[in-house]
Amino acid sequence: MCENRYLTFALGKGRLAKQTLETFEKIGITCEEMKDKETRKLIFVNEALKLKFFLAKGPDVPTYVEYGAADIGVVGKDTILEEGRNLYEVLDLGFGACRMCVCGPSDAKERLKHHELIRVATKYPRIAKDYFYNKKHQTVEIIKLNGSIELAPIVGLSEVIVDIVETGSTLRENGLGVLEEVCPLSARMVVNQVSMKMEHERIAKLITDLKPVIGK
Amino acid sequence: MKRRILHTPEGVRDIYNDECERKQILQDKLKQAIECYGYRIIETPTFEFFDIFGKEIGTTPSKDLYKFFDREGNTLALRPDITPSIARAAAKYFIEEDMPIRLYYAGNTFINNSSYQGRLKESTQLGAELIGDNSVDADAEILSMAVECLLASGLKEFQLSVGHSDFFQGLMESAGFDEEAMEELRELIANKNYFGVEEVISNREMEENLRELFHMLGNYYFSREEMAKARALAVDYPRILSAVVRLEELQKALEAYQIDDYVSYELGMVGNYQYYTGIIFAGYTFGSGEPIVKGGRYDKLLTYFGKQAASIGFAIVVDQLLAALGRQNAVMEMPGRGTLLVYAKGRLAEAVTQATQIRKSGGSVELIGMDSWRAREEYEAYAEQNRKENVIFLD
Repeated sequence: MCENRYLTFALGKGRLAKQTLETFEKIGITCEEMKDKETRKLIFVNEALKLKFFLAKGPDVPTYVEYGAADIGVVGKDTILEEGRNLYEVLDLGFGACRMCVCGPSDAKERLKHHELIRVATKYPRIAKDYFYNKKHQTVEIIKLNGSIELAPIVGLSEVIVDIVETGSTLRENGLGVLEEVCPLSARMVVNQVSMKMEHERIAKLITDLKPVIGK
Repeated sequence: MKRRILHTPEGVRDIYNDECERKQILQDKLKQAIECYGYRIIETPTFEFFDIFGKEIGTTPSKDLYKFFDREGNTLALRPDITPSIARAAAKYFIEEDMPIRLYYAGNTFINNSSYQGRLKESTQLGAELIGDNSVDADAEILSMAVECLLASGLKEFQLSVGHSDFFQGLMESAGFDEEAMEELRELIANKNYFGVEEVISNREMEENLRELFHMLGNYYFSREEMAKARALAVDYPRILSAVVRLEELQKALEAYQIDDYVSYELGMVGNYQYYTGIIFAGYTFGSGEPIVKGGRYDKLLTYFGKQAASIGFAIVVDQLLAALGRQNAVMEMPGRGTLLVYAKGRLAEAVTQATQIRKSGGSVELIGMDSWRAREEYEAYAEQNRKENVIFLD
C-alpha cells in the first residue's frame, strides 16, 4: 500500500532469532548487519527489501507487536499464551518445538486427581491458572518463580510445577517427571492487527513464501 | 508529600493547550461530517445502572467495568462504550416512533483493563447511530459516514474492513459445532490463527462446500468474483447465504457513494461486541496499532429495552485517530489565537477600552500587565509560542 514504509520485525533474543533468520534466508530475506557478533546496533536494516529487524526479550515481543511498534514478531507459543495480548497469530514456524507440562515427583500424581488444593510453582502463572481452573477445574495456589522451577517441589515450596519440557533430562536427574501435558509449543509468527490490513500484500506474500520452507 | 497530589492515576491523563485544541478541532470536523447527514446530537450519562452494560447486552466483560454503588445499593457502572446507552435512551423516548431515528454523540468511555499497561483507561468516542432501519441503504449510509469522517479528519490512507456476523454463526450452525468448539474457533479466528482453524476442521466430517467456505475465513480482500463464488457455495446454507447476499447488496449500494477505494470485504471478521447481529466493520490506518473505527448492526439490542428497532452505528476512537494523524505527520490547520495586549502598569483603563473594542468585534485579546524588569522580546516570544497573531504594547 505505502511503498516507502519499512516492515518492522521484533525477534525474541537468542536461539529463536537465529533460527528465524535461518528460515528467512531460505526465502531470500537476509540481514547481514545482524550476523556481526560485535555490533552494538539495536536496529538492523535491509534497505533493498525495506525491512527492519530488532531483538527484544521474548515476553516483550507481543507488546511491541500489539502496539504496532513492530509489524511482525517471532516468539514462542508459551509467551503468546502468557502475555495474552491482542494480536494475530498467523503461522506456526515449527522450530523450537517443546511442551508445557505439569511436572513433579511421581507420588504427586495422586494429588492431581482429587480437586484438592495444591501449590503450583511456575514461571507462567497465567498458563498454569488457565489450565487448572478452566480445564481441570482444580483450585490451586500459584507461586510465581523466575527460574530453576525444578527446585520448588524438591525443597517443598510446591507440590508440582508447570514448566517447559524439551527432553526431560533435567527433570529426571532431579527425580521428577512429566505428570500431565498442558499443550504443545513452538515458535509462532505474530502480526499486528492493523499491519495485517494495511500491509496485507507484503505480509501475505511472506506467509505464502514461508509455508513451504517450514515443511508444513 | 505535596508533589504526590500532582499525579493522575494510571490510565488517565490531562490533555491541554495545543493537543487539546487539536482534539477539539478534530471533533468539530467529525461532528460536522455527521451533521451533514441530518443526525442530531444526544448526551447520555457517564454512568448508568450496571444492567445496561451487563452480560445479556454483550458489551465489555464485567471484570473490565468500573463499578460502584449508589446510596440504595444499586450497582452502577461507568460506560465502556456508548451504544447501549443510546439504545436505552432511544427505547425510552422514541418508543412510539416508527420513522428512522438518527443520533450522534461524543463522550468519554472507561475500561478498567489493568493488564494493558500503557493503554488509556479513559478515551473519547464519537459516533452515530441509525435506529429503526434494517435496510442495506442504512448500512451504506453508516459506512459512507465513517469514510467521510475519516476523510474530514485529514486522513488519506485508511481501510474499512467489512464483514457479517452471520457468516461465522452460519458456519458454526451448519457444521454442528457445540458451544465449546464455537468459542475455541471464535478465538482462533479473532486471532487470525488459520493453521489452528485448519487443524480443528480437518478433524471434522463436513461437506466439501462447507469446508471451502471455512477456507474463505482467511481472505482479507474479497473480490466480486470471490464473493459470487462464496454465494454459489453457500446455496444450501441459508444463514451463510443471506450474509453473503447482504454483503453483495451493500457493495452495490456503496457504488452510489463512490467510496469503493476505502472499503474491503473480509468474511472472517468477528465483532468485538456480542450485540452485533449483521454487518460488522472496523477501520484501520498506519500509526495506530488498533482500529480507529468500530461499528456494526445490532438489530436485537433495542428489544432488550422494549423496542423493536433494527439499528446500525459506528464509533470513532478519537484519541487513536488523533495519535495516528500525528504519527502520519498530517498537517492540521491551527487557527491563530488573536491579540496579546501588553500594558504598562497604571494604563489598565486604556488597555481595557481597547480590549473591549476588539472583543466586541469578535476578536480575542489576552491582557498582560507589563513587568518593568522584563524585556519586550520576552512578551514577543510568549506571543509566538501561543500562536498570537499580533502583539500590542501600551507603554
